[in-house]
Amino acid sequence: MQQEVVLAMLAKEPSQGFQLRARLDQALGALGEAMNDGQIYVTLGRLEKAGLVVRQHVPISADRRGPKVYELTATGQERVSEWLGEVSWPKPDLAEFHLKLIAAAAAGLADPIGIVDVQRRELIRRLREAQRAAMAESDGSEAGLLLEGITLRLQADLRWLEACERSWTDRRKRS
Amino acid sequence: MNEEESVLLARGLRKEYGIGEGLVRAVDAVDLEVARGETLAIMGPSGCGKSTMLHLMGGLDRPSAGELWLNGSRIDRLSERGLAQLRRHEIGFIFQAFHLMDELTAQENVELPALLAGRSPREARRRAFQLLDQVGLGERATHLPSALSGGQRQRVAIARALANEPLLVLADEPTGNLDSAATLEVLRLFEDLHTGGLTLVVVTHDERIAATADRMISMRDGAFVDETRLTGGTSGNLAGLIGLGS
Amino acid sequence: MRHHLAQAVLLVIAIAAATATLTMALALNGVTSQPPYAATRAATKGPDVVAYLTSTSQAKKLVKAPGVANHSGPFPVASGIIRFDGRQADVFAEGRTTAPAEVDQPLVTSGTWVRPDGIVIQRTFADALGVSVGDQVTLNGESFAVAGIAVTAAQSAYPNLCNGTHLGPTPAASKFSDACPFPSFNIPLLSVHGSDTATASSDDVGQIWMTEADAIGLTSKVNPLTTYALNLKLTNPDNAQAFAYDRATAANAPLFSTWQGLGSEDAVLVEDGHGVLEPGAVLLALLAIASVAVLVGRRLSEYARRVGLLKAVGGTPSLVAATFLAENLVLALLAAVIGLLAGWLVSPLITSPGAALIGTAGAPSFSLSTAADVVGLAVVVALAATLLPAIRAARSSTVDALNDVARPPRRRRKLIGLSNRLPVPALFGLRLVARRPRRALLSAANIAVTVTGIVAVLAFHAYADGRLSGASAVTATGLSDPVINRDEQMLTVITVMLVTLAVLNALFTTWATVLDARHSSALMRALGARARQVTSGLVVAQVLSALPGAILGVPLGFGLFTAAVHGGALPPKSWLVATVIGTLIAMASLTVVPAQLGTRQPVAEVLASEAA
Repeated sequence: MQQEVVLAMLAKEPSQGFQLRARLDQALGALGEAMNDGQIYVTLGRLEKAGLVVRQHVPISADRRGPKVYELTATGQERVSEWLGEVSWPKPDLAEFHLKLIAAAAAGLADPIGIVDVQRRELIRRLREAQRAAMAESDGSEAGLLLEGITLRLQADLRWLEACERSWTDRRKRS
Repeated sequence: MNEEESVLLARGLRKEYGIGEGLVRAVDAVDLEVARGETLAIMGPSGCGKSTMLHLMGGLDRPSAGELWLNGSRIDRLSERGLAQLRRHEIGFIFQAFHLMDELTAQENVELPALLAGRSPREARRRAFQLLDQVGLGERATHLPSALSGGQRQRVAIARALANEPLLVLADEPTGNLDSAATLEVLRLFEDLHTGGLTLVVVTHDERIAATADRMISMRDGAFVDETRLTGGTSGNLAGLIGLGS
Repeated sequence: MRHHLAQAVLLVIAIAAATATLTMALALNGVTSQPPYAATRAATKGPDVVAYLTSTSQAKKLVKAPGVANHSGPFPVASGIIRFDGRQADVFAEGRTTAPAEVDQPLVTSGTWVRPDGIVIQRTFADALGVSVGDQVTLNGESFAVAGIAVTAAQSAYPNLCNGTHLGPTPAASKFSDACPFPSFNIPLLSVHGSDTATASSDDVGQIWMTEADAIGLTSKVNPLTTYALNLKLTNPDNAQAFAYDRATAANAPLFSTWQGLGSEDAVLVEDGHGVLEPGAVLLALLAIASVAVLVGRRLSEYARRVGLLKAVGGTPSLVAATFLAENLVLALLAAVIGLLAGWLVSPLITSPGAALIGTAGAPSFSLSTAADVVGLAVVVALAATLLPAIRAARSSTVDALNDVARPPRRRRKLIGLSNRLPVPALFGLRLVARRPRRALLSAANIAVTVTGIVAVLAFHAYADGRLSGASAVTATGLSDPVINRDEQMLTVITVMLVTLAVLNALFTTWATVLDARHSSALMRALGARARQVTSGLVVAQVLSALPGAILGVPLGFGLFTAAVHGGALPPKSWLVATVIGTLIAMASLTVVPAQLGTRQPVAEVLASEAA
């Protein structure tokens, strides 16, 4: 589980471990079932060590303490913002991007549609490059074959991004 | 971009159907400029109005409102005669379904616009051969469309669109009916023509076509919602695409 | 669906027109097959032999002759001139008793029988004069009232009173003659009585009855009584001819008429009508088939898809063909019913004027066989037009039908090359014809049938005008000729139906042509042809295919006319040329409207909706 995903999920509000788990489950559906229970705590531990997250008791009143929750530090906040703006594209696993959109929407940090648009532009540029490289190859070359595979995958990804855009636009219209 | 360089200029272009409750805004107050030698891609979901937009630009339909300028002349108010003149000399059109005449050979199809424009049969025939050569179908000039593959048919259609040396070529989903290999053929052709200075506006929902453009516009519900400039600077290394390198 | 409905309606109209005409033809035939003459003869105790004597003494021998069962007369027959309302004519006035005669008692159809100063006029003569019961007429200067109107079987009806079969010395010498049966009346009376109007022809003679006293009163020193009519009834009516021949050869013999001679003449009258109606019906049937074929051709391509579905769910080719036929047959039957009704309503107009004889009052009798014939025609028309397409539809491959793949257009290299040098409309038009030769052929066939009809009708008009020795519908003295009237009425009805069907046919054809060319038209416009050029091209295509048909229709039309009416000359060349050119102009004009409508539609829409 990418560290940044967990960080971003804390951006909305401090949460306990199991709450985070619940949010991930909701976002991932059946795909989340494969996730190991312990995974999330391992990641949280690493983040704590890196100084991006702190763990402390929630004050309920002057003299009573609530349970321990995880919370973003200032550094952590910075990292989240940075991550939201990144356009590196995850290989086969689309879950990261999917969760990025959800986290951004939940925390009100960025417009998910904007994120999609930016990513689309990037992918189109990459598609253009791959395509040009493919056309420069002679028919039947091995590199050409690989490049064709890359273009087709990029094309598929772009289709999915369009679907994301539609879906998030509809969601916004309904809310 | 200064106006002298723009081949096509649209301001506040509108196309509406129906009245009152049933009013549909197929094209909703669109502004557009197309520069000489540019390839522009217009993308969007079905029903977003991109085909209608293209038909307006090509004089195949009249706008409900707005201004349209081609090479400095106003064309939205032209008579039917003027529009026909436009389609004959200034604009070439490529359709998704090719729309070749089935009973004519490739060269007869390609020479037709030239004949309509009043060129002599010999001149028209010569030009047709030249164009078919250019699109790589020189040996198939005497074939009927039924003897050609989809990609070849579209290339004939492209040759036909170029018959009268138009200022602007408009293509409506040119690869919509083509498989992957045929699409590549057409892509190559468009690249070559682009290099040769052709001004092209393509309406498509095929990302591969859009990726070849200089500029890409997204359209939704009759309006332009996004514009991306694709030329000028590369974005990352190719190796990064396949997991090599960090 | 709306398209489908409109075509179904048009199909029904086309077949209904043909069946209506057939109904009328059969009605007329029905009238003649139980000839009215026989009915009149029965109702008026018609004579078997009529003898025209110069003196009453000749009667004794005849009355006592072997084979004579009964007689009436001899009745005096005076000549006179009748005047009414500015019209005048010669009359033979037969003097009768007020009591009914034993043989030949004319049947009064309106009014009463003779009385002093009250005359009875023969029916068609009364029609021609325009008199009705109660009118006052002048006879030889004196005024008489019209007491009644009657029919008889003893003389031919006006205007054929003097044109009957008369028996000469030998059977061979018996023929139609212009001589009147009344020997002293061969001098045109009007000139005897010093009329200053043009001399009447021998047609202008009519039959009236009056009291004996009145009839004798018409005679004078200048106009003596020279003829008596004697009506004979034989024990064996079939002997009438022999009876008359035996006695006609003697010196100073009377003139004889027999019932067979009078009857055959009546048949000719009606046969004339037949000669117009039957070829007309054939022609209309052909036109109906042609129209239906055009309609069906269009329906077929829309039907192809449904056919494909039928086949896809397991229908066999024969099931498919049967379904297609069944649909069209149902429509044809509906049209047959409509045609029968229409024919039934219109027939009296045609059959009654020709009847100087009873048996035709009101609607003609409709037998089961009439209905069967009409339905048969409708079925034949539907079958003829739809069988071929139905079979083709059944044989077509299922996949093709589902994908609505029409037959690919034909390629004619030479024509395409030829058209290159022509201006755009001609280029487009010629290519359109080349690409669908069968459609062009069908178009030509339709036009050929139409022009055939028009030429046949024109020929008949020319023939009818000249037929009765130069007589026109109105004689010199103002009387109207009922025979020509009737013929012309029938001709008018046929002509109207022909023109209606022809116009419908032309509409179907032009509309089908324009629709077929929709995709090509839109594509030409997309490539830069002007709307006007495209419209002109469609007109060129239509005229090109119509031209051979129009030219062919002329000899065919004349052939049809001569086949129906033996003899007759070609109508004037100018009429023929006008017909051909007029037809082409009509087709061109009818094409312009749907073509222009087509060019109003935005090009993109048409291209999107039509495959090539």
